[in-house]
Amino acid sequence: MSLLTVEDVTMEFGGLLALESVDVAIEQGELVSLIGPNGAGKSTLINVITGMLEPSEGSIRYAGEELVGMTPHEIVQLGIGRSFQTAEIFPELTVKENVNVASLLSEHGSFSLNFLRRRDGYQAVKDRTRDILETLGLDDEAELPAKSLPYGDTRRLEVAVGMATDPELMFMDEPTAGMSPGETEMTTDLIERMRDEWGITILLVEHDMDIVFDISDRIVTLHQGSVIARGTPSEISADPSVRSAYLGGEVS
Amino acid sequence: MSTDFDVGDGTTFSWERWDRLKESELFVLAAATGFVVLFPWLFVRAPVVSDLLLGYGTLAKSIIIWSIFAVGFNLLLGETGLLSFGHAAFWGLAGYGAGWVAIYSYGHPLLMILAGVVLAAAFAAVVAPVLLRLHTVYFAIVSLAFAQTLFWLSREPFNQWTGGENGLTRMEVEPLFGGVSVSEPLPGVLGTLMGSWMYLLIAVSFVLTIVAVHRIKKSPYGLMFKAIRENETRSTFIGMNVWRYKFAAFVMSATVAGLAGALLTVDTAFVGIRRLWWSASGDVVVMTVIGGLRTLFGPVAGAFVYKWFGGVSDGIPQIGQFWLMTLAVVFAAIVWRYPDGIWGLFTRIGGLLRSLGGDRT
Repeated sequence: MSLLTVEDVTMEFGGLLALESVDVAIEQGELVSLIGPNGAGKSTLINVITGMLEPSEGSIRYAGEELVGMTPHEIVQLGIGRSFQTAEIFPELTVKENVNVASLLSEHGSFSLNFLRRRDGYQAVKDRTRDILETLGLDDEAELPAKSLPYGDTRRLEVAVGMATDPELMFMDEPTAGMSPGETEMTTDLIERMRDEWGITILLVEHDMDIVFDISDRIVTLHQGSVIARGTPSEISADPSVRSAYLGGEVS
Repeated sequence: MSTDFDVGDGTTFSWERWDRLKESELFVLAAATGFVVLFPWLFVRAPVVSDLLLGYGTLAKSIIIWSIFAVGFNLLLGETGLLSFGHAAFWGLAGYGAGWVAIYSYGHPLLMILAGVVLAAAFAAVVAPVLLRLHTVYFAIVSLAFAQTLFWLSREPFNQWTGGENGLTRMEVEPLFGGVSVSEPLPGVLGTLMGSWMYLLIAVSFVLTIVAVHRIKKSPYGLMFKAIRENETRSTFIGMNVWRYKFAAFVMSATVAGLAGALLTVDTAFVGIRRLWWSASGDVVVMTVIGGLRTLFGPVAGAFVYKWFGGVSDGIPQIGQFWLMTLAVVFAAIVWRYPDGIWGLFTRIGGLLRSLGGDRT
């Protein structure tokens, strides 16, 4: 059984079909990229899966559980993490506090926290935060306010916060947007490590086709709200419908 | 860089140790207790200082009561980032609750306080599901509407219970214990320092509030509150039930407002309708902002400045007539330029002195 199954999902905004009978299945441990031109429905699909939008029709199952009708925070607690394209961090908090919020929630859920206990006393949370900061190379910046980080570090912090929620499946929305070549390479390394070392299943939305074809196990192509092609990178680059709809013959 | 030097008894003093110490609960407890015990003496009875400040006993009590209100309010405004413009509802309702228990049941001060606190917390829990759906200015406006509704209801339709424009009188505040009334002076040196048993009751409530708020800020809840203030969307997408924590912050701040409101009733044995009037909501916002959002003791400084100007400067011919204008200017300056308020100014001066002393943090 697939880890995530999107079945026949349709999303209608007042007569406009943003998604039309979309089927996507993601297996445990793979890195799947979602591509398509602007307005193809990539963001809508992610918003539907993560509970920000409720689909007009269809079903979404994660490890056997129906996600449609759940609130976003419940979906995150099931093990679906998300990193955002715009750096969604907590600017006035320190780097460590940013990660700590997510660690606390992943260790204790939303319901077993005590408002009269010192948060320093949660040892497992401290360990988890420290590990993640070390892994992402942010330990030197731990005590700095998050808003003072340079752009590349801010994006890494964004990923660190997502990782701290202990996801089994992680959505990454254009993680390399606006990055320098050096930062981009570091980020792609990180994404591969997330899959290979930590066994996280990843759904990637990315505009940089070099990255997509380099690291994806499979690619799903959306066009005008429908899936027009799915397959391995070599299958996709050979697919004529993808080439005409999106790639414009760029990929040889 | 640390600057360690010997303080004489073999232990070394360092700024790091000081920074850690001042965050500890014991220190906060000691500081709050020290302040609340010495304040009325300095303000009302001490030579020179009290003459300069023109302080008097009623104002000292009022300042501490409003401090309690503002410290709790800051949990909502400063920490969670929710601007309520309707906390007069909790403050006023608790005042009536304390009065009703004295009139219809038994007016033991502690029972009155308990009744007020429970009523305020319960009302907060009832209105929260509607209010917390709203954001920013809509939240502020609808919370104001709730409080104003309570005001109009107490004035006319329910004046049988509230006394309407005349206020709630004819209540009997019973002795605290063994025949000791709250208005009696404390024995010995305690009396010199703090005055009456009533002040002691207010002082104990103040210390408990400070310690509880400090503890909440250091708990996981404190971090959740700040996260909501900083980025609500991100908070949701790390698995936080945002509503639940907003609810907690809202009810907590209302509970503290209730404590303050009930104390005022115990002190005055009277509840005026103006407690529910919107200006009480405005007062607590101004005190908190002037004193310093996101600080523990800032609202205390804010309450002092606000009540002192309001209560004393009227009597000083040169500034009295300008007090509201001064307040407006100070408020604007703080909102515009000094978001950490008076307390932030203290911290900044402290930091400046430290760097002059060679400490470069």
